[in-house]
Amino acid sequence: MKNTEQSLKENLLSSFDDIQVEISDERRLTIDCKKNSVVTVLSSLNNSGYDHLGLISCVDWIKDNALELVYILTAYTEESEKGKMNILVKTKITRDKPELHTVMNIFENAEPYEREVHELYGIHFIGHPRLTPLFLEREYKIPPFRKDFDTRKYVQEVFDPIPFVEDKKGEK
Amino acid sequence: MDRNNFGKWLRSPGKMAQKYSLHALYFCTGCGIIEIPPSITARWDAERFGVIPVATPRQANLFLITGYVSLKTLRFIIRSYEQMPEPKFTVGFGSCPLNGGMYWDSYNTIKHLDKYIPVDGWIAGCMPRPEAVFVAVTHLWTLIDKGMADGYKKYRENYQYYRKNQEKILGKLEWPPLFSKNVKNEEYRTIA
Amino acid sequence: MRELELYFGPQHLGMVGNFSITLNVEGDRIVKATANPGFLHRGFEKLMEQRTWIQNFPLVCRINVVEPDHMELMYAMAVEKLAGIEVPERAQFIRSIYLELARVGSHLFGLWAYANMLGFDTVANWAMYHRDLILDLFEELTGGRVYHIYIWPGGVRRDFPDGFKEKIINTLHTIGRCVPDYDDTFFNNRVFYKRAKNIGKITHEEAKRMGAVGQVLRATGMKQDIRKIEPYAAYDQVDWGIPARTDGDAYSRIWVVRDEMIESVHMIFKLLDKMPEGEVYNKIPNPFKWNIPGKETYVRCESSRGELGLYLVSNGGDKPWRAHFRTPSYNHGLTILEKALENESIADVGNIMISLYITVPEIDR
Repeated sequence: MKNTEQSLKENLLSSFDDIQVEISDERRLTIDCKKNSVVTVLSSLNNSGYDHLGLISCVDWIKDNALELVYILTAYTEESEKGKMNILVKTKITRDKPELHTVMNIFENAEPYEREVHELYGIHFIGHPRLTPLFLEREYKIPPFRKDFDTRKYVQEVFDPIPFVEDKKGEK
Repeated sequence: MDRNNFGKWLRSPGKMAQKYSLHALYFCTGCGIIEIPPSITARWDAERFGVIPVATPRQANLFLITGYVSLKTLRFIIRSYEQMPEPKFTVGFGSCPLNGGMYWDSYNTIKHLDKYIPVDGWIAGCMPRPEAVFVAVTHLWTLIDKGMADGYKKYRENYQYYRKNQEKILGKLEWPPLFSKNVKNEEYRTIA
Repeated sequence: MRELELYFGPQHLGMVGNFSITLNVEGDRIVKATANPGFLHRGFEKLMEQRTWIQNFPLVCRINVVEPDHMELMYAMAVEKLAGIEVPERAQFIRSIYLELARVGSHLFGLWAYANMLGFDTVANWAMYHRDLILDLFEELTGGRVYHIYIWPGGVRRDFPDGFKEKIINTLHTIGRCVPDYDDTFFNNRVFYKRAKNIGKITHEEAKRMGAVGQVLRATGMKQDIRKIEPYAAYDQVDWGIPARTDGDAYSRIWVVRDEMIESVHMIFKLLDKMPEGEVYNKIPNPFKWNIPGKETYVRCESSRGELGLYLVSNGGDKPWRAHFRTPSYNHGLTILEKALENESIADVGNIMISLYITVPEIDR
């Protein structure tokens, strides 16, 4: 009797040939794929019932000179066999001039996640209708969540040199 | 009113009216907003001290800055502060506007609020209890009596330095300067 | 008719939290709404990468100010999964009781905000008073009213003091005796029915497409709750039900909140009966030199607003390499709000925003 994750793994390996699937824990599946096949993998998972995009996250591996995008999918269901599955779809892209195709055609709620990743890591999403700033108020030279942006040095350079306002009598 | 306060009332009725009706502006700036609803509802009633929340800056007297201040919020704090009519008092709530607090190494928060608008008093804590708000209000009364709660006068006298600091941190400001030249303190009339 | 652009900005009497919406209106009817977050952005996840594993606990609380307890639980569960630490049985029961008390307190805060918005000041005062009674319990247990750093990797920080079980039961009886008053004054009131029925309506397919979780999803008909699907702590040792409605408007969402509060109170009584004796934490290694092996994990729980998740990556050092919180208010505030506000009148903006149960620090982090 195969359980859910093993049957899903065999289905995926038979439909796509350049991905690697790994069962990392009970009810957890990790899929590594190339950046051009992200959209097809996600749409095939959406059609087989995993229709809730939980998170789009990005990890900065500075030693390998790569940015890794992670898409986390779960299922909208009331039964607990399928509802326990968490699927992580990961892909790696280069650090200088990173760009990727958007997944808004499959999941409509991916729009604010992609705006946030664009603003904080500098990744451009092709086909996104509204890539305007979301949280930040100004532009930084290096996108602030990358590992070579030092926040303590930034605070020392920008916030500390502003002087306190002194009165005529010399008090603050 | 008892015999001790009667003499004070005769000498300065304006100060008495100012102290006992501090209307606070309703602006939820940061995480400290969690301890303000308990202090304005029935258990710790703030209205017996004269403090009620009002809707617009034009009707307000007291500005409570509850919690940390980010760069986007600072723009709105300065605009609301400049719209309030004088005399006005500012109180910093929590340890984050004092010196950065727990987010001392964040790239998006202001570390010392004192450099941008004048602040009359601070309340320490993370979060302070609702009773701390009332201790601050009674301390502000003694400062008003002695004439030491004069943040708005300092803003008027040193406006060019405050404006220079605000422009350094926020870039170009969309509103014109509030005072065109430095006004000396004797040249305008205050209440009492 | 001419189109105007208005700012429902951060300084507004109808806004709880520091958030701004840009409205394009024609007369009294909204044509388009755009959400502007970012007033509370601190760069949380970047700050977490510069502090050690134990130093992050006081920081993680402050992401959601109304209910900080589920954030601590998520971080503790993720660290336990990465490091392989077990939690004793009594600590699981204590965690469940503590989280259900936090849920009742958070729903009472939401009821304060909503009743104030509609003009029911009496009910708002009652709700805040009852929440203060629960915060007194927290103060005796952990030492702080709002931010309690109580859940620890390996259990909880300390055991219940003497006589605490009777105090919980007395407080919950005091609150439970007032439920008929709440029903007569607010929930069965004709004014509330007229103001909230068919306002901010979302169908079931729209909710699934736009990523709704929590009460917003349960008010459209689907009974999904992470505490039943992936049970954590002691939720699989007692039996309880999931309340749901089918209409999908503001009226159903507030009724789901009320039913959940009553269900939580019953659950606390059942958990207090079944709690075993034992110790409350397993020791962790020396926190100053604690290195966790390089793996990644994703854990989920059900906070009072919906499904909360944490993606934690470690590369073998003594600080996290990447931590990313998936908060329930993110999709509600940035995708669903813009859709639910179309063709409504300006007087209902605050109504819809609070009934979608958005907490703004969760969006900005």
